[in-house]
Amino acid sequence: MRIRPWATATAAAAFTAGLVALFVLTAAGGAGASGVSYPRSQTLYMSGNQWSPNNDLNPAKTWDYVTGLVGFAYETPFRYDPLKDTFRPWLASAGKWVDKTTYVMTVRKGVKWSDGKPMTVKDFAYSFNILKLKTHPQHPFWADTGLKSMKVKGNTLVFKFGAKPGYQQFDFYRFNVAIVPQHVFKQYSKTDLTTGNLKLPIVGTGPYLYKSGYGATSPALYWQKNPKWWAIKALHVQVGPKYIVDLKNGTNAAALENFQAGNIDLFNNFAPKKAITGKAKTYYSKAPYHLAANTTWLFPNTTRKPLNDVKFRLALADSINVGQIIAKSYQGLVKKASPTGLLPIWNKWINKQVVSKYGFSYNVAKAKSILKKAGYKLGSDGYVRNKDGSTINLTLAVPNGWSDWMTATQVIAQSAKQVGIKITPSFPEYGTLTDDRGHGNFDMVLGNDRQYSNTPWTYYQYIYQLPILSNQTNVNYERFKDTKAWNLTKGLDKIASTNTKAYKAQMTKLETTFLKNLPVIPLWYNGMWAMFNTSHWTNWPSNSGNRHFTTASWRNYWQMTSIDMLTHLKPVK
Amino acid sequence: MIRYLARKLLIYLVTFFVAVTIDWAIPRSMPGNPIEQLLARMHAQPESQRVLTSYYSKAFGFDVPLWKQYLNFWVALFHGDLGVSIANFPTPVWELIRGAFPYTLALLVPAILLSFWAGNKVGALAARRKGLDNTVLPVSYVLTATPQMWLGIMLAWVFAITLGYFPVSGAYGLTLQPAWSFGFVGSFLHHWVLPFLALFLVSFGGWAIGMRNMIIYELEADYSNYLAALGAPTKLVRKYAYRNALLPQITGLALALGAVVAGAIVVEIVFSYPGLGTLTLNALQNRDYFLIQGIFLFLIMGVLIANLVIDIAYVFIDPRTRVGMQGGS
Amino acid sequence: MAVSKQRVGMAPAGAPLAAEAPTPLAPAGAPPAVGRKGRSEFVYFAFRNWKFVFGLCVVLGFLALAIFGPMFTAHKPLDFAGPTDARPSHAYWFGTTSYGQDVYSQFVYGLRSAFLVGAVGGGIAWLLGAGIGFTAGYRSGWLDDVLSMLTNVVLVIPTLAILIIVAAYLHVHSYATEAILVGLTSWPWAARAVRAQTFSLKTRDFVDIARLSGRKTRQIIVTEIAPNMSSYLLMMFILLFGGAILIGASLDFLGLGPATSVSLGLMMNNAYAASALLLGSWWWFLPPGIGIIGIVGAFYVMNVGLDEIFNPKLREL
Repeated sequence: MRIRPWATATAAAAFTAGLVALFVLTAAGGAGASGVSYPRSQTLYMSGNQWSPNNDLNPAKTWDYVTGLVGFAYETPFRYDPLKDTFRPWLASAGKWVDKTTYVMTVRKGVKWSDGKPMTVKDFAYSFNILKLKTHPQHPFWADTGLKSMKVKGNTLVFKFGAKPGYQQFDFYRFNVAIVPQHVFKQYSKTDLTTGNLKLPIVGTGPYLYKSGYGATSPALYWQKNPKWWAIKALHVQVGPKYIVDLKNGTNAAALENFQAGNIDLFNNFAPKKAITGKAKTYYSKAPYHLAANTTWLFPNTTRKPLNDVKFRLALADSINVGQIIAKSYQGLVKKASPTGLLPIWNKWINKQVVSKYGFSYNVAKAKSILKKAGYKLGSDGYVRNKDGSTINLTLAVPNGWSDWMTATQVIAQSAKQVGIKITPSFPEYGTLTDDRGHGNFDMVLGNDRQYSNTPWTYYQYIYQLPILSNQTNVNYERFKDTKAWNLTKGLDKIASTNTKAYKAQMTKLETTFLKNLPVIPLWYNGMWAMFNTSHWTNWPSNSGNRHFTTASWRNYWQMTSIDMLTHLKPVK
Repeated sequence: MIRYLARKLLIYLVTFFVAVTIDWAIPRSMPGNPIEQLLARMHAQPESQRVLTSYYSKAFGFDVPLWKQYLNFWVALFHGDLGVSIANFPTPVWELIRGAFPYTLALLVPAILLSFWAGNKVGALAARRKGLDNTVLPVSYVLTATPQMWLGIMLAWVFAITLGYFPVSGAYGLTLQPAWSFGFVGSFLHHWVLPFLALFLVSFGGWAIGMRNMIIYELEADYSNYLAALGAPTKLVRKYAYRNALLPQITGLALALGAVVAGAIVVEIVFSYPGLGTLTLNALQNRDYFLIQGIFLFLIMGVLIANLVIDIAYVFIDPRTRVGMQGGS
Repeated sequence: MAVSKQRVGMAPAGAPLAAEAPTPLAPAGAPPAVGRKGRSEFVYFAFRNWKFVFGLCVVLGFLALAIFGPMFTAHKPLDFAGPTDARPSHAYWFGTTSYGQDVYSQFVYGLRSAFLVGAVGGGIAWLLGAGIGFTAGYRSGWLDDVLSMLTNVVLVIPTLAILIIVAAYLHVHSYATEAILVGLTSWPWAARAVRAQTFSLKTRDFVDIARLSGRKTRQIIVTEIAPNMSSYLLMMFILLFGGAILIGASLDFLGLGPATSVSLGLMMNNAYAASALLLGSWWWFLPPGIGIIGIVGAFYVMNVGLDEIFNPKLREL
């Protein structure tokens, strides 16, 4: 057989044509395509949920469900406005403590499920009853709040507590438990309800109806306005966009390109400051541009020398140039954290006298003198030695690829060096890091797992929870055994926020013990990254107007005030 | 010929066996328990952690001894089951690969074939033609020396960001959903051009250099001189030289496949192209070892099959090989 | 490999090696044919060949920059020394990254890692490729089959897979380890080529004579076969050197390299991750690419030059 040049060419062309055909067929079949394209002026495109596979429809899995599942489809009895610290009746039309241990929740009338069936108090009772399952992620609602019983009384649910209700946790669940339809959910087994991914269709009460996009390979989740949403009549509010396309983007860079091109309206990914220009707007018009969403902490392993010494930790805190991290790693997009580590939304609980007395800030001289007084002597290499004379070399680990944190660790290492503390940045794989962190095989790590909530209790629980297990998967990574602080934390839970005086007093105690012992070192507030493109939609949340809403499309934010962002949006004409 | 093919097949089978075994070992030799990693993302109760651990152990097949896991892996493999993704739990790995593979194929196959074809043509033209050679050769060298991702970045910078001719990322416009429509196909092609070019150009350079050198050898070979001495037109001589030179190039194609696939992975990442490369990066970032395992298995199989096809094709293309195998020569 | 046995004997006389392993891409460049020339003649032709001279000069230039460049940096590559995202200026020759690091400093230190990965990775691959190729080609039989199988396996196993495991295991991950890994995985094409070449050489008379005189296999390979392929081996090293730099850059770009130091691939990774492309910080992503193309391209051009020096047929008319 001879080789004919044209044969190669023809083969190439035929092969290519065949594969393109195959590709189109596969693509069309695979993504469950409907050739619908959405009118741009009625559609809100958003991104920032790109890491999730879009295949979990279980509202119990608050860390994994498809964004919007709670907020768009399912709703919660209440919503919580973190910026004003108020609860708003939502699927519950009212709720109050009738005495110190009895809470009565009134179910809103006239709400219908998207399949036409009315929502009743039975659905409420059902939704709270499934939390009784010990494997349910929200089981602490029953286990930790002191809740004894829940009874249906007419159109209300009566929650009866023991002597000391866990007010703070109960409040937390008031806006975090999704009310689900009993007539649909009764098909699921106990395992499904607590750990399964559940199935379509989604029968909810909320402002949007699921349209398409379910599945790990889908590029986006598509929602369509629910014309029969109860709030239209009951509260006279209406969501702006008729369609929502929640994009799953591969990378921040790809999302940013589309945002800049006006293809994305709400951008909840991280982007450098340079991107905030032109039609790109943010919550604040100047630094730090974004609301603070969570605190980044440095977790020292308090079971290891010298990090088990409070003096050393205090000196370490004083040695970290957080300003430099903010300027270099974030170009001013974040703010320095309060020495208490509490978010700005909890400012009113921060005792300023305590902070000024015990708080730390970047101060090389002070750090040096603390070390000297505590007996850490300088070695000939310029680094301090342990009290027994052995050398100190602390590794600070952050996951490889988390570039902002990676540069932050470099800054920390460089600034600690000025004090004589030797820190070596280390960038292990994420899996290795979580493993080491859980089992206490580390010197120092960074962490920012706790987000906005109604109560600083969630932060203190994150820091102090006891007992310490062999694997600490999501709290107390620093392995700090402080029974007194943990009891104070538990005590905080049992004080109603309305009891301002007692609450403040308890907070003062917690802040004092925290700052005196500094089991973890708060560094900066990570932003609620949000850029708004004003090409197609306007009236975005802003500090300057009266639209003070949370700006994230992330999970658990819609039932705060992110949904208000949607009800205020107006199309650009 | 059958003996030759059987021997070839045996080699590929053994290679496949070893490769699959190594691939199987990847997630199992990783530090950190994948289940603990899954649980670490959750705010699960101690009770539910216990339940979930056994649930996931079952789901990932960790509840049996290692040798059995290995056997199960082979059994599952022959059923086309590549396991379950960790980060996309409980989506099967195969489903994720199926979703991404067409995009990679749409980039790779045209890039490989067209660069092979064009590179050989241009290389053959350039050989022993001073003016052309002096332009083709340096350009080709710069192209082969270019890392694919950087060429991708350059193309994106010039043609997408500066000139605005093409989009920078994705495989189709965000406002579209994959469908059989002009809008979608048009948008797809528009997005396809730059990543295709990045792959095409780097490979093109390599083939052009290879062919150029090969043609020079062939033109210097005795048969060429003989033909020329007989008064055959230069065109004819070059034609024969080209045919002979193409054979080793085809062998080279087999060797190059692995590198081209690696190139596709980085190019896809630059353009956020939703193919296997981007899937690999996501799997890497999520430490989704089962997905990584699945993708690599898929790639290994692809490269092996392509090699086998090239080997078989070679038998039919090269008459000398056939003669050799029949014991002639 | 079974095929190669069949093929080599029948390949056209002019290009036995080229016919065996033309790997224009993986890692790069078509392996040249063998030629045997005297040393003085080599030097004479070498310095008259502009491709060789040009390639050599560029490589040496970059090498000088890698060695001496860091001495002229005002800042360490990872120091947050300057303003963020600054254009090239008198103070920061190549500008700064969006974190305020000096791009010039990263570039020259990155060149160092590139040469390290190239030399160590290419060197290891060269040793393995030559060793395995000689042994397989000379010994034939079952040893050849086993080695050929090994070559095949390494050829298809994705290097990435191995590197991911290593990255996860090694807490201290350096460019030396990366280079070793690149070396351990990038030799197969070289082994194939050397094997084929050895295969054809071992039937030559001078090898037969050596064998009849009772010399050991290793001696025959070292004294008879290798010298006859010296030009080939030199060019193979150059190609492996360039190839190792490219593979290392890809790994770093994927974030699989050591993250606590600087490399050209990592610079690209950082620039890409920080959206430098979209935000127009060209001074951040241009230098690493130019550095890699410069070194690797110059190596390849040098290789053509060498090819022409060793093979007069290839010289320009």
